[in-house]
Amino acid sequence: MSANVERAVNAFKEQIDASTAAFFSSCVHCGLCAEACLFYLETGDPKYTPIHKLEPLRRVWWSSYTLFGRLASLIGLAPKVTDDLLKDWKELVYDSCSMCGRCSMVCPVGNDITGMIRKEREGMIAAGHAPDGLKGASSRAIKIGSPMGVTLKAVKAQIGHLEADTGMTIPVNVEGAEYLVLMSSMEIMNYPEYLEAIARIFEAAGASWTIASDAFEATNSGIQIGASDIARELVMRIVAAAERLKVKTVISPECGHAYTALRWEGPNLIGRPFPFKARHILEVLDEFRADGRLQTEGFEEDRLTFHDPCQIVRRGGVIDEPRRLIDMVAKDFVEMDDNGRYNWCCGAGGGVSAIEEAHDLKLTAFLKKKKQLDAVKPEKLMTACANCRIQLEEGMEETGMDIPVIGLTETLAEHLKTPETAKG
Amino acid sequence: MQIDETTPNAARSAASGDDRTLGALLAARGVSRRAFLKYSSYLASLLALPASMAPAMAASLAKAQRQSVIWLSFQECTGCTESLTRSLSPTLDDLIFDFISLDYHHTLQAASGHAAEEARMQAMEAHKGKYIVAVDGSVPVKDGGIYSTIAGMSNLDILEETTKDAFAVVAIGSCAAFGGLPLADPNPTGAVPVTELVTDKPVINIPGCPPIPEAMAAVLAHVLTFGILPELDSLGRPKSFYGESVHDRCYRRPFYDRGEFAESFDDEGAKKGWCLYKLGCKGPATSNACATVKWNGGTSFPIEAGHPCLGCSEPGFWDMGGFYRALSVPTGDVARIAAVAAGAGVVAGAAAGALHRATKSAARGKHHTVTVEELEEK
Repeated sequence: MSANVERAVNAFKEQIDASTAAFFSSCVHCGLCAEACLFYLETGDPKYTPIHKLEPLRRVWWSSYTLFGRLASLIGLAPKVTDDLLKDWKELVYDSCSMCGRCSMVCPVGNDITGMIRKEREGMIAAGHAPDGLKGASSRAIKIGSPMGVTLKAVKAQIGHLEADTGMTIPVNVEGAEYLVLMSSMEIMNYPEYLEAIARIFEAAGASWTIASDAFEATNSGIQIGASDIARELVMRIVAAAERLKVKTVISPECGHAYTALRWEGPNLIGRPFPFKARHILEVLDEFRADGRLQTEGFEEDRLTFHDPCQIVRRGGVIDEPRRLIDMVAKDFVEMDDNGRYNWCCGAGGGVSAIEEAHDLKLTAFLKKKKQLDAVKPEKLMTACANCRIQLEEGMEETGMDIPVIGLTETLAEHLKTPETAKG
Repeated sequence: MQIDETTPNAARSAASGDDRTLGALLAARGVSRRAFLKYSSYLASLLALPASMAPAMAASLAKAQRQSVIWLSFQECTGCTESLTRSLSPTLDDLIFDFISLDYHHTLQAASGHAAEEARMQAMEAHKGKYIVAVDGSVPVKDGGIYSTIAGMSNLDILEETTKDAFAVVAIGSCAAFGGLPLADPNPTGAVPVTELVTDKPVINIPGCPPIPEAMAAVLAHVLTFGILPELDSLGRPKSFYGESVHDRCYRRPFYDRGEFAESFDDEGAKKGWCLYKLGCKGPATSNACATVKWNGGTSFPIEAGHPCLGCSEPGFWDMGGFYRALSVPTGDVARIAAVAAGAGVVAGAAAGALHRATKSAARGKHHTVTVEELEEK
């Protein structure tokens, strides 16, 4: 066994817990997870069956944690994890899994297949079998502070533009603010309207907020590549800033995996509970709505639909919030066929968008979303994840569709009841 | 058990006075083709036939002439006839009587006395070799069979005379099939089931006290459609109805599996709908379709009403040692054995758990931190 494989097997052993063992032993081989996976559905290739993607992890479970497996490996009969196996599985574990969690949702015995893929990635990266795109992103995240290489300078430049355009002051490093606002690199580089929307909505709501100069980035490449060591360091930066500024709530932006990383994995990674609340921006906006602090006027006239970001909706449980918010500003809202917790992924989550080799595959996977869109024919497509947004725009461009994609937060800001009109 | 290929339709067409086909009869009565097809699907599914057979069955039934049936009642209580005629009213019994030309039946025929016996003789003559004899009730053979006579003839003689030229015999109810109540200890009349007396003709047993009416309708439909008897088990019962035990298909089975039993008819367990095994339920030893087909048009079955299964469709059910006595009680000290087994299980589980924890913590000890430098190298 080479050193790399030894490290992978060791990482698998570390990751396998009681639920993993229960999942593997209760799999009934029904194959329903295949039908739930858009990579299988759109390619028709059975190798993309979700449970099959877990073969290396399953082998380690069987040979190390079951009686028959232990006996079989004593006499050398247990199937082994080899470097070739891991190399072959790289595409299955990374390129063809957006960690969307639909397979976990449909599994009749309740196996969290997606959760196990996340564990399996720990072993893959330990053996060095992770895609270059994700390795690069992780190293930039640690060294520069953002997977896309966005520096504090770029953030400051954006703040400068914003302040000049709107006359508002963007709070940075304000101790004692109620909310700490994070952003994804995509929002800093491609969608500056998000920060402007936050500034306007929070001002109207009378909520105090701040950006932290040492923790503005919400994304977590460590989660995507599957390295807890790296994920922990990135989460810790946010926790340290939140504790230093004594904020009550940290807000994850319109980004899918950032929410998973902060809210669900975060406390487990650092090994203690957060002294603050971790919320998604849609949850906070929905609270504002309920308290009457978010008031809108006018409606979008276009026929609108909402693409559910998997990590926020299915994995995160933020299902009704976006719909209540959309109802405030949309007259003609249509749901796609499978929506909410049974939505179909855009095709590029879980790090897939950062993997160059997966370019063609992710566009094939997008065809599922295209079929859904063709069925309801919206004039505008709304979502709440910058990564979904990029993929949706690219997929539509590639397939000759022309539907503008908009973010939910920025749309709410456009319809914000201004103080003048509120008074009048 | 195969009946001559040429028998069925030709045989039936012969002469039941009314030579219209079943399809024409039903149409005249306002039964739509759709309703008839639906009924055929129901029968096909009861017989565990593939769904594709339903249209074939409907077509075949529609073309068939009505089957001549002579119904003999011996030592019985008329419960079987009641069950049949009061089934899924109006569809099922109506349709059954559309399938058949019931040429002789004590309870249902209008004729009486000599005219009634004349009808039986006429039917036997007209449909020689082609009629079906349905029997309910057991036959007394002690003392020359004097304990039950009809029109001066003993049951034994009537049975012999009538089945001689029959095409098949259907023993309806537990008395005809297995002797039933009359045969119960001490059996004063020397009652025997039909199978013991009719040995040269195929006999289908449809036991039960009374039997499920759908079973009889489906068996008749099968004979009319295919001209052969349905597949039977070792006791001559159609497998499609008697292939599984009441227990295996019982909705209270999960409680049995969890060891949750009602101990009396008014305890908490009974109120919670737990398993009635300890109250004497014979479900585990009874092959019948009560739990799936149910009674009164699918309304419920005895266990659903809170009463244990009596095992009425099994041979000798009267003499199985009391309706409310549990089937069998475990020998030996179950509690102690279970405690020891559970203890052993805990020890083995703890040992396996400790081993796994050791494996996992060893793996943790060998954890090699993933660093950025390393990512850039590989």
